[in-house]
Amino acid sequence: MIALSDYLILGAVLFCISMAGIFLNRKNVIVLLMAIELMLLAVNMNFIAFSHYSGDIAGQIFVFFILTVAAAESAIGLAILVVLFRNIRAINVEDMDKLKG
Amino acid sequence: MHGYMHVTNNRIMSAEQIIFYIFASILTLSALGVITARNPVHAVLLLVLAFFTSAALWLLLEAEFLAITLVLVYVGAVMVLFLFVVMMLDINITRMREGFARYLPLGMLVALVIAFEMALVLGPQHFGLERVPAPMRHTAGYSNTAELGSVLYTVYLYPFEIAAAILLVAIVAAIALTLRKRTQNTRYQNPGEQVLVRREDRVRIVKMLSEQEGKRS
Amino acid sequence: MNAVTHFVTPDFLPAAPEMFVLGMACLILVVDAYLSQNQRWITYTLSQLTLLGAALLTLMLHQTEPSLTFNDSFIRDAMGGVLKLFIYLVTGLVFIYSREYLKSRDLYRGEYFVLALLAVLGMMVLVSAHSLLTLYLGLELLSLSLYSMVALQRDSAVASEAAMKYFVLGAIASGMLLYGMSILYGVTGSLDLASISRGAALFTPGEAMPAEMPGGNTLFIFGLVFVIIGIAFKLGAVPFHMWIPDVYHGAPTAVTLFLGSAPKIAAFAMLMRLLAEGLGALHGEWQTMLIILSVLSMAAGNLIAIAQGNIKRMLAYSTIAHVGFLLLGILNGTLSGYGAAMFYTLVYTLMSAGGFGMILLLSRAGFEADRLEDFKGLNQRSPWYAFMMLLLMFSMAGVPPTVGFFAKLVVLQAAVEAGLVWLAAFAVLMSVIGAYYYLRIIKLMYFDKAGHDAPLVAPRDMRIALSLNSLGMLALGLFPGALLALCSRVVGTG
Repeated sequence: MIALSDYLILGAVLFCISMAGIFLNRKNVIVLLMAIELMLLAVNMNFIAFSHYSGDIAGQIFVFFILTVAAAESAIGLAILVVLFRNIRAINVEDMDKLKG
Repeated sequence: MHGYMHVTNNRIMSAEQIIFYIFASILTLSALGVITARNPVHAVLLLVLAFFTSAALWLLLEAEFLAITLVLVYVGAVMVLFLFVVMMLDINITRMREGFARYLPLGMLVALVIAFEMALVLGPQHFGLERVPAPMRHTAGYSNTAELGSVLYTVYLYPFEIAAAILLVAIVAAIALTLRKRTQNTRYQNPGEQVLVRREDRVRIVKMLSEQEGKRS
Repeated sequence: MNAVTHFVTPDFLPAAPEMFVLGMACLILVVDAYLSQNQRWITYTLSQLTLLGAALLTLMLHQTEPSLTFNDSFIRDAMGGVLKLFIYLVTGLVFIYSREYLKSRDLYRGEYFVLALLAVLGMMVLVSAHSLLTLYLGLELLSLSLYSMVALQRDSAVASEAAMKYFVLGAIASGMLLYGMSILYGVTGSLDLASISRGAALFTPGEAMPAEMPGGNTLFIFGLVFVIIGIAFKLGAVPFHMWIPDVYHGAPTAVTLFLGSAPKIAAFAMLMRLLAEGLGALHGEWQTMLIILSVLSMAAGNLIAIAQGNIKRMLAYSTIAHVGFLLLGILNGTLSGYGAAMFYTLVYTLMSAGGFGMILLLSRAGFEADRLEDFKGLNQRSPWYAFMMLLLMFSMAGVPPTVGFFAKLVVLQAAVEAGLVWLAAFAVLMSVIGAYYYLRIIKLMYFDKAGHDAPLVAPRDMRIALSLNSLGMLALGLFPGALLALCSRVVGTG
């Protein structure tokens, strides 16, 4: 049988990959947004695994809402990205250097 | 089946375990691909693969509704939105990965160490089968969708309404940020005006001197 | 099948203010679509009436005994009521201050008000949250509205850059918080804050884990770390503060004013609900983490603020320093400490609203008064507003007899009560250093020559509100007793 720990470790690995993606990526904002999606996927994996092994439906409900919010979040994130691209013609993290001090 | 596997605790992998490990490795590799891909289109496609394999893993966890939602809503809508934006923006790919490889080994090492530490906390001594036994499988008549639905609109009525407000914010924000009003210079057709047009709007009769008269004066 | 077979209609009445705000936001959205630009005052008036109506509803429904509804995911208590009233008040001030600024920058659109009202709704949900789910949803409703408000000035490169940074770091913070929440759910098996609190009560440091919870002790701390990182990101505590200066600087000042004021009240509520009510039993564990955050925030905030030439950036670092002081009250873990932190938060939001209001007062069409030099010789141009700014700056620096002094005093008392005398001494030292850059503005206003002597023009309601706001700092400083007593009375009821 698959133990709960297997799912949780998988979630932890996904979480770390997404964190690495966020901190290593110095170039492209859209890959940052994808890394954030991966992070939420890791969280969802945790919630569903806990929900399954404790026989409690609340965890799945939470995932339902995370998916909803994540969809709204990526819509807004991509909208901001489009606005940014129209203004500076680039989405490289390096080009976001107007604000410093 | 359950009890048998649990009691014997044999080293032969069950079919379920084989499936789990195959999908888990595909998921891990595709996630790694997302953050290292050179081309953002490849990254999006790998992310789609990651979502698909996660959906398969969620099926193993008997979360059928969420697994299907992940494929339909996430892969079907959100990822397509990502692809759309990636292709709409003209991204300079050659510049994208400069300097990435330099930090990659160190970053990966740090991530590996953190993952290992997290795995220690979340590992078998806390969440192994001995501590958290696998639950009984549901019977054939069980519907995950029905169970979720019966609480979603009753017990979780309040969060459901807030989620609606969040989606409203997303609509308002996306329109307010990206909708461009047509400027004066843009040319476009208005069929209503075209139908209602009268002769006087289009043709102007100008009285003018004939050419010869003009020359004479 | 253990599904709910009989549905009992929940008691909707405690959530009446929330429902009213949501309904009005939708109404304004529709009405605004039919208005022309010079009828926009209707949107503005409706937004102010929404806040007023919500305030009346909150007052009418106020009761000291906490009550739960919507299957325990919503709590109505005295602390929540007071916090909500201050959220309406501050948001009302924000609307008054920002109207002229928005008009002169082509931002005077319905979206600003609708998004602000939905952000207010998010704060209300957060304040009344009694489960991890509603807490998360309230937080996201607030954050998503704020991200898009920052980007609302579409043709500004700095505003969209600020919005992108805010969005990315905010989303990472949410991810961290969610990961922590998933662990807490796994350990306690519930999303309800009361159940989590009961689970946390079984926590025994250094001993074997309770049998009924897998992983018990270690897992609690593990989840707690992620929750604290998430909250620290949202609060802007050092070392998770990097977004604050850029976002405050890049956003249109009217939006900076909003996001620098009312959401801090919601952040305080989040700290209270999660740490004090949910994980109060783990106080010993989170106290250490908060001490580190508090020390770093006070030090970095005050020291870096000195080097700033842009007043919006300077106030951003000042916010970080103030967050350090706010944590000083929370980390005590006692009711008096929470009361002190609540007093500090409410006072801070009013000061912050006034401070950014002054920048808006000095800004004109095509001119952003966000450099320190723009305050030069303000005394010659307008002695009255120079005095108002003096009161606000004194209050932020913590100079008696303004209320900022008492706010600092009560959180320092809380730290001393907790036996952290060294921390209190460090905080005093930092606030002395911090006083330098506030007093520098006063020096610029009173002892430097003005670059120009353009008169300050502002509508009457803004002048009155700003004057009352600033004088309130003095009045509350002279008579802090009532608000202080209110804070310490309501904070224990939840």
